Amino acid sequence: MDSLQFLENILQSLVAGLLMGSMYGLMCVGLTIIFGVMRVINFAQGEFMMLGMYFAYFCFAWFGTYAFFGGLWFPFFLALLAGPAVFLVGVLLHRLLINAVTGRRGNKLEAQGHYAQLVLTLGIALVLQNGGLFLFGSTPVSVANELSYSAWEWGPMVGDRVSVFVNQAQTISGLLALVVVIGFAVLMGKSRLGKSLRASADNPDAAIYMGINVDRAHRLAFGFGVGITAIGGGLLASNAPFQPYIGTEYVIIMYAGVVLGGLGSIRGAFLGGLSIGVLQQVSAIILPNQLQNTVIFICFLIIILFRPQGFFGNKDRTA
Amino acid sequence: MSSIRKDFLHIGLFGLVYIILALLVDNSYYLLIMTIVPVWAVMGLSWNLFSGYSGLVSFGHAAFFGLGAYLVALCMVVWDLNPWLTIMLATAAGGLSALLVGIPTFRLRGHYFALAMLAYPLALLYIFEWLGYQEVALPMKRETPVLYMQFENPLAYIALALALLLAALGITSLLSHSRFGMSLLAIKLDEDAAEAAGINTLYWKLIAITISGALAGAAGGFYAVVLLVVTPLAVFGMLVSAQALIFAMFGGVGTLWGPVLGAFILVPLSELLYARYAADFPGIQGVIYGVAIIAVILFAPEGILWKVRSILKPGQFRMLGSTASITDLDADESLLAVSQGGSGEKILEVIGVSKAFGGLQATDELSFAVKQGELLGIIGPNGAGKTTLFNLLNGFIKPDKGEITFQGQSLRKKRPNRICAMGIARTFQVAKPFTHLSVLDNVVIGAYVHTRSKEEASRHASAAIKLVGLENQCALPGANLTNKELRLMELARALASLPKLILVDEILAGLDPDAMQEMLVVLEKVRKLGITIVIIEHSMQAMVQLVDRFIVLDHGALLAEGRPEEIVKNPQVIEAYLGKKWLEND
Amino acid sequence: MTKPVLLQLNNICAGYGEIDVLHDISISLLEGELISVVGPNGAGKTTLFKTISGIVTPSSGEIHFGEQDLLAVEASRRAHLGLAHVPEGRQVFPSLSILENLEMGAFADRGRAGFKENLEKIITWFPVLGERSGQLAGTLSGGEQQMLAIGRGLAANPDILMLDEPSMGLAPAIVDEIFERLIEIHRTSELSVILVEQRVAEALHFANRAYVLEAGKIILSGKPEELQNDDRIRQAYLGM
Repeated sequence: MDSLQFLENILQSLVAGLLMGSMYGLMCVGLTIIFGVMRVINFAQGEFMMLGMYFAYFCFAWFGTYAFFGGLWFPFFLALLAGPAVFLVGVLLHRLLINAVTGRRGNKLEAQGHYAQLVLTLGIALVLQNGGLFLFGSTPVSVANELSYSAWEWGPMVGDRVSVFVNQAQTISGLLALVVVIGFAVLMGKSRLGKSLRASADNPDAAIYMGINVDRAHRLAFGFGVGITAIGGGLLASNAPFQPYIGTEYVIIMYAGVVLGGLGSIRGAFLGGLSIGVLQQVSAIILPNQLQNTVIFICFLIIILFRPQGFFGNKDRTA
Repeated sequence: MSSIRKDFLHIGLFGLVYIILALLVDNSYYLLIMTIVPVWAVMGLSWNLFSGYSGLVSFGHAAFFGLGAYLVALCMVVWDLNPWLTIMLATAAGGLSALLVGIPTFRLRGHYFALAMLAYPLALLYIFEWLGYQEVALPMKRETPVLYMQFENPLAYIALALALLLAALGITSLLSHSRFGMSLLAIKLDEDAAEAAGINTLYWKLIAITISGALAGAAGGFYAVVLLVVTPLAVFGMLVSAQALIFAMFGGVGTLWGPVLGAFILVPLSELLYARYAADFPGIQGVIYGVAIIAVILFAPEGILWKVRSILKPGQFRMLGSTASITDLDADESLLAVSQGGSGEKILEVIGVSKAFGGLQATDELSFAVKQGELLGIIGPNGAGKTTLFNLLNGFIKPDKGEITFQGQSLRKKRPNRICAMGIARTFQVAKPFTHLSVLDNVVIGAYVHTRSKEEASRHASAAIKLVGLENQCALPGANLTNKELRLMELARALASLPKLILVDEILAGLDPDAMQEMLVVLEKVRKLGITIVIIEHSMQAMVQLVDRFIVLDHGALLAEGRPEEIVKNPQVIEAYLGKKWLEND
Repeated sequence: MTKPVLLQLNNICAGYGEIDVLHDISISLLEGELISVVGPNGAGKTTLFKTISGIVTPSSGEIHFGEQDLLAVEASRRAHLGLAHVPEGRQVFPSLSILENLEMGAFADRGRAGFKENLEKIITWFPVLGERSGQLAGTLSGGEQQMLAIGRGLAANPDILMLDEPSMGLAPAIVDEIFERLIEIHRTSELSVILVEQRVAEALHFANRAYVLEAGKIILSGKPEELQNDDRIRQAYLGM
């Protein structure tokens, strides 16, 4: 492999990594908002992503023929729609199950309920992924359209050699993910609702003194968190095939991104997810496919062991 | 009959019943289930031995299980080694890998620990896939089947599985009734309090995860022999770790029989339903495990064994530990005495110590000394840095600057449990009782610092309990005590570690005048034993009758120092306490 | 003519888990009054406030806020009725800016309605909150955080301001300033205030009436000038 070829590979991986990373980043933001507000690590986050993917898939299968917005754009629209749909699922699950072991009720349990929260969300993950097997079947499916198979060529940049091909579906998904993250960050930063969620995260007791209903804040945070991750899933769905067990694969990617960015920080989570995407794609140049995930896991372990507060978060946000 | 002998009797009976049951069953599928169930029960026990007792949730026990399974399978395929040998190797490998995992991972607590543990088996899963071991089948050995654990009669497998389970039960019973069990329970209930009571928390956690990993490795090795095929997903997958955790939590966390009960209910249930409905509902096993654990968390968070117990014996508080009775009511209080030699010499010296948290200077260039046998009061308004000072003295936090010496030895590099062993004990401002242990066990934990013997520890504990006057409460759980009793119990726990110096943090706070008087009498007794006392108190009331000398802190610095009668007249002190206007009025 | 009772606690017993910290507490606050609750550490002052705010549920007794049975109102709704709690140790929202903290103070409708005018008043009392409104609260000094906590309480436009140890951990000069401001606010706005303090002298000096809390019981109550000369206070604090 000559050096220009190598340069091309690097650039190609970098661009692909940034685009994938943008989607990972979006999913990480979902996970981190739940942790930030509720101090709960949601084990089932990958399964909510999976729900987002299947939401997009089934809507596409059912309504695909009508092709609003032109057939090409429809999958992306569905990905965005997966957000509100899974938001409702999250709100419902919070009310029925999760609420029982979090917040002030959780404080009365052993270790502030951390034990119970982790295990409860593990149970939800098992039910969702195996229930998904029943409802959706085990055959991998995808929401591919012709954009998934087309690329834009950037270049040639050096002479007639170095060109970067960017997948069109990936590009649109990556940019949409960025837009959703920015929109959500603005919502959290500027709106009264966002501020009340942040206040509940900072100090739940004081938030109650202000008249903020912290239970409701938790419920919304959980709904937002899983909804945002589901949008990430919906966007990924137009890139690659998936099956109901896909959540486990991605949940570590999400943890890695979130821990890298510092638990609880939105900006950190997005940058963390972005880094993981780049790391994954670039490592593919030198490593066999199966080891890509191992690299991420090992990175995750190194970060969590030596810098658990992460790299991108602000200090007072980490637990 | 001792509780260990009772356990062993139960274990023996259980084994007998199981064998008889197996003899009665004549369906090869059921017999296979009867082989698998004990293997998963061992996994449950393995998880429970570590996570159930220590409270650190492991989502990674599949790592040890999988390594055991692959070790047995690959050794047989590559080197023709027999499983009798390799299961032993698998046990060792499980233990060793757990130790290696524990060393770095115990830096973390809570969420972070659980997350990190999740990554180990999943990383291994992909590594084994990459190595090309997608499916390793154990070769059939027709010439010497028994040597390779390949039996015609399924009962032989059941007997082996049962033997493994009985061994795991025996180990759990022995450990849970020893110093090991008490130490881990203490870590689970309050790691800081455990460390301050002289328990080397890191050491015990490493021991626990090593034994736990060894059991998981053995279970994995045997699993390979029974199923004859090993795949990465089947042995390293999420579901393996989840099952270990679910069986233990479903049955009863931190109990001997809970994990067994969990496996014996859930494994057959999911296997039978899977056999029947797999075609229509392929994920039914996972759904059952998921629903089971959700239900347990919501309705019986400690598992069904505890739930049943609380229904059968309502009102009785859930107790762990050995709940020994006082063995030696005549235990002499003088057991706790410290030789009076060197009275008046400096026992503790604080030299120019500073500590800041963020922008807040909690301790500011603080210097003072405590003399042997003295009763020193440290007072100051809220936020003056008193508790921070104690945290510096017992090693919870290290100073940014300055030096602390105890009997001439620097405390700089000592962990709290070492400092406790050197002879500095403490109580906490907000009492930290081990709520699910009896008063006696709470105190016994403190006594293990200087002895490995259960008898000696309980003798020291008895003496301490007698000294503080809690003989009648010693069988009550820590959670049922009144404020005064809690504080007395903490004092007893500190005394049982045979300290030379006790740090007492606001022991009088919130007590009514009568209780306060009682407490003063007890403190006076402690001091008569020759133990040096440093006591923090917010209010000076009562303290003036008690202490030899006061140190007054304000904003982390020394405001005044002197005899009680001098201090109460000191205008600076009155201002810090009652406010400037008080002086103007007088 | 006596003023109407705004807040009335009758025989409250409360605590954490099984253990009661407060025993049979009865306290009343009249409209426009400033009352002090003093007592040494561990006497139960903070628990008293948490009980009024609904974070701690009493095991017996009743609380009336005007005509309302306060115990029937969910904790987060109590702020909407006009109860503002400035908690011990300030507890500002560290990752929110000063202005955002004040906005959260005005979260309830009654605070939101006149927030703009109210904000101006708060800034005249505590100019530092206006000068650095964009700064994160976590980066403020202790005294500034205390001012923000009080400002946040006032932003709710409350009927009752509950102040839990505003002097804690602060330098004397700042304490003086804060107390001065508090009195000014109380006088000009005729706001009803419950002040919990360990600094007896200041707390008594400014109060209309005072209660002395020791070991969860009210051992004394009355006019400040009567209490000032009562040896039992000095005893409770200094022991002689």
